[in-house]
Amino acid sequence: MSARAPSAQVLTAALCIAAASFALWPLANFDGPWPEGIRDYLEARGQDESGARNLVSAIYLGYRGYDTLGETIVLLVAVSGAIGMIGAAGSKLTPGYADAAQGQSPVAGTARRAHRRTELIDVVTGKLGPVVLVFGLYVMLFGHVSPGGGFQGGVVVASGIVFLGMGSKGAGLSPLVGAVTLARIEAAGFLALLLAAGLGIVSGAGFFAPPLRGASPVGYIVALNAVIGLKVGAGIGFLCIAMLGEAER
Amino acid sequence: MIEAMLAAILILSLYAVESKDLLHGTIALSGVSLLSSLLFYVLKAPDVAITEAAVGAGVSTVVYVWAIKSMERSESP
Repeated sequence: MSARAPSAQVLTAALCIAAASFALWPLANFDGPWPEGIRDYLEARGQDESGARNLVSAIYLGYRGYDTLGETIVLLVAVSGAIGMIGAAGSKLTPGYADAAQGQSPVAGTARRAHRRTELIDVVTGKLGPVVLVFGLYVMLFGHVSPGGGFQGGVVVASGIVFLGMGSKGAGLSPLVGAVTLARIEAAGFLALLLAAGLGIVSGAGFFAPPLRGASPVGYIVALNAVIGLKVGAGIGFLCIAMLGEAER
Repeated sequence: MIEAMLAAILILSLYAVESKDLLHGTIALSGVSLLSSLLFYVLKAPDVAITEAAVGAGVSTVVYVWAIKSMERSESP
């Protein structure tokens, strides 16, 4: 960064601001009528049609299921890419996991450098982890009636997994922070999502449609939330745990 | 209220860019995420606020801090 001359930095900043203004100019000076049709339709009928009180959930799992499928694929590709890069960097992935059986911390090197750590981190994160996990599960499973949903709950679960990974010192090691477990949960979550999406084809309702015609579609939204939450939580948690092991090499 | 939060976000972002100590910059970024999450909540988007708090202030900060631990903490002169 500092190799560049200050004038080059100023030029770069000016170019960035100019590009951003160019992109935002039509938005800022938009004086046509806002598109209200879909908004009014969803407000009037979304809750009845989907059965979900949280309209955000109803939209991204009911009306716009394809977007959610795309999001989960993006996450899957990101996780695969990160694992590939860690592998290509010539290091073993999460070297701590082999030592976990011998009672060492899953985060490689934390046992080695124990003298530099305070008990504070272990105690606080180890105790906070399960609480965060439960809150994440709540956000995930009650996404149809309260703010939250699969993705939101999944990232909260992921932070709980990171807490557990940082806080467990051998004895209290949770199998949840094992790389293999997380990878399997993610793969199983994606498979279940594909199956849930394809179930509608078999029953004749269509791709990503609630398979049971007569029943309220809210159960389908809850199931999708749970599957997506597990997948996202395991995926992001796996990424973090893998990096924790890598960086301490 | 919203203007004050936006101003604080701007100040923290500038500090994160300009700070020579990468750890300080990361903490400032975490503060930006926390303030954004509060902003989303005030603007009645609690779903986004949950995601922003968990990803921005939580997970990404952990990843940054761990990356900084394995390299030089300050920006190269």
